[in-house]
Amino acid sequence: MKRALLALSMLAQAVGAEPGDLSVYAVNYPLAYFAERVAGTHADVVLPVPPGVDPAFWTPDITTIGRIQEGDVLLLNGAYYAKWLQWASLRISRTVDTSAKFRDRYLPLQDSLTHSHGPSGEHAHTGAAFTTWLDFQHAALQASAIAEALGRKRPALRSTFQKNYEALAKDLAALDAELKAVNSTRPLLASHPVYQYLARRYGLNLKSVHWEPDSIPDDAQWSELESLLASHPAEWMIWEGVPDPETEKRLRQMGIRSLVFDPSANRPDEGDFLSVMRRNVDDLSAAFR
Amino acid sequence: MMLDSLYIAWRYVVFQRGKTATLVGCITLIAFLPLALELLLAESERQLTSRASDTPLVVGARGSTLDLVMNTLYFDDEQPAAVSMATTQRVLDSDLALPVPVYVRFRARGFPIVGTTLDYFDFRGLEVAEGRTLAVLGDTVIGATVAERLGLGPGDSLLSAPESVFDLAGVYPLKMRVAGVLARAHTSDDLAVFVDLKSTWVIQGIGHGHQDLAAATDPTVVMKRDDSNVVATAKLALHTEITEANRESFHFHGAPDAYPLTAVIAVPPDQKSATILRGRYLATDERDQIVVPGEVVAGLLESIFRIKNVLDAVILIVGLATVLAIVLVFALSLRLREREIQTIFKLGCSRSTVARLLGSEILIIVCASALIVGALMIGLDGISNGLVRGLIIR
Repeated sequence: MKRALLALSMLAQAVGAEPGDLSVYAVNYPLAYFAERVAGTHADVVLPVPPGVDPAFWTPDITTIGRIQEGDVLLLNGAYYAKWLQWASLRISRTVDTSAKFRDRYLPLQDSLTHSHGPSGEHAHTGAAFTTWLDFQHAALQASAIAEALGRKRPALRSTFQKNYEALAKDLAALDAELKAVNSTRPLLASHPVYQYLARRYGLNLKSVHWEPDSIPDDAQWSELESLLASHPAEWMIWEGVPDPETEKRLRQMGIRSLVFDPSANRPDEGDFLSVMRRNVDDLSAAFR
Repeated sequence: MMLDSLYIAWRYVVFQRGKTATLVGCITLIAFLPLALELLLAESERQLTSRASDTPLVVGARGSTLDLVMNTLYFDDEQPAAVSMATTQRVLDSDLALPVPVYVRFRARGFPIVGTTLDYFDFRGLEVAEGRTLAVLGDTVIGATVAERLGLGPGDSLLSAPESVFDLAGVYPLKMRVAGVLARAHTSDDLAVFVDLKSTWVIQGIGHGHQDLAAATDPTVVMKRDDSNVVATAKLALHTEITEANRESFHFHGAPDAYPLTAVIAVPPDQKSATILRGRYLATDERDQIVVPGEVVAGLLESIFRIKNVLDAVILIVGLATVLAIVLVFALSLRLREREIQTIFKLGCSRSTVARLLGSEILIIVCASALIVGALMIGLDGISNGLVRGLIIR
């Protein structure tokens, strides 16, 4: 009986019987931003990833995992985002897969390499494109999942969370409408394969290479680009960050201009998710004008 | 007067040591057996029902409900058919209960390896007494009895046992690192080796770690390579221990929803949610079943008590026979002691004095038996918890 009561109290905790600020951890900045907007002052939102590190490939140490385990909520992006989740021990009761509602719309990775060994035959490491939030409809669904999860933890604040979510959803819908208006089939290049959802949602004719903004592509990469341009004569290349001036110069010589469309996976140095996305959308709209 | 009789009776039973010991032994046994049986059954009933009543619902594959409950609650060797992580997701998606997945298939040095999530520790109210809780793949948190019997503590390691020595392509031992030891819970959890679910899938071979084949150039490791696939030779070694250095090379194959479990403990917030959830598993073509462990254990106890009734009848008959034998022993003893009794009469003692002497002898024998039975029962009570778990529940 004592244990049954304990289990019930645990569940009660899970559904929000305890007062006080929620401790919310997020695996990337977009989710942290959504949680901050939805929860307002009622949650302490933590993005445990150090500045300048890509949260998708960041690895926490044991101490950090311990802190994350103690949080009230851990917001997951889903779509196989954050590799460390594959080997960390977590609670189902405290994790929220924010993209669960559109799991059937994940975009599989096109270039996954299979491997074979032993009797199990050929197999690939399962994967999907993970920058889901660049489709602002998806972003709104993720924010909605956060509002629901926080509401379950603090039922008394459910209406506050819902109101805050609606304000956020309105901002995201405005970005969505603006990008929808671009509606261009002109060829576009991406420096990195992270814009799959952006391209799908906004009908962009986008093809991608695999370059990093802070490194200069080698000869093979330039050749690959030239081959790609033969069938995909793009005039713009979008980047996650400001490209190296030398790369930008050579691209310009090839008739390709560069613009930054920052996925904002980690907390920006200036502004917030919304201001970064607004700048992204404005720049992209201007390029297609 | 009474004290004199008791003294003479005492001298007599001490003189007749052999006869006295036999009588005390018989009475002790016949009294101890039903009492011990009663105590052990009461303890097993307590243990079975308390853990069962603490576990609201268990979802598993259709089949023996008893195997499902005994495996999930007491980590019994008998394995129910496997379900998959989709079963966990189904409970989670229902929003009617918190799912706690459990995978009890493998063993380590004779103790069951219980693959689960941290929710299990919250649900059972288990505390880590030494070290820390599970954090990463390959970590294990062991029960207090496991730690005691194997002499293990945080920082030590423990190997999972291969399922069959003849299955060369099957399950390979995984070296697990002891991250913590649980405080004693006086339940089956004391006898378990807890790991993250993902670690059990690594033990099973669904997940594994090896060098990056995409970057591998050693021709003795890479047999064939094209744009989309790399075929490794048998030289490719799979890691048998998960360390900080190789942890990130571990990966899983196939759809996560298909990864196996033996059961999902469902913890609904209220009775209404429990009833609605149970209703969702009633379809005739349903592949999973949902059981109330309390009901399954009650059925088991009913069978145990039917057996107990038979045992009680046997003990009653044996008891009656023993009592008759004891009466006979005393009757024959009176015959043998006829001359002695005549002497007592001649000394001027009345019949009542003789009766008092004989009564005192019986009293001493019965009291001696009662004392021994009492001592045995106290001893048994002290070890009944572990004895029941070792002999009956495990």
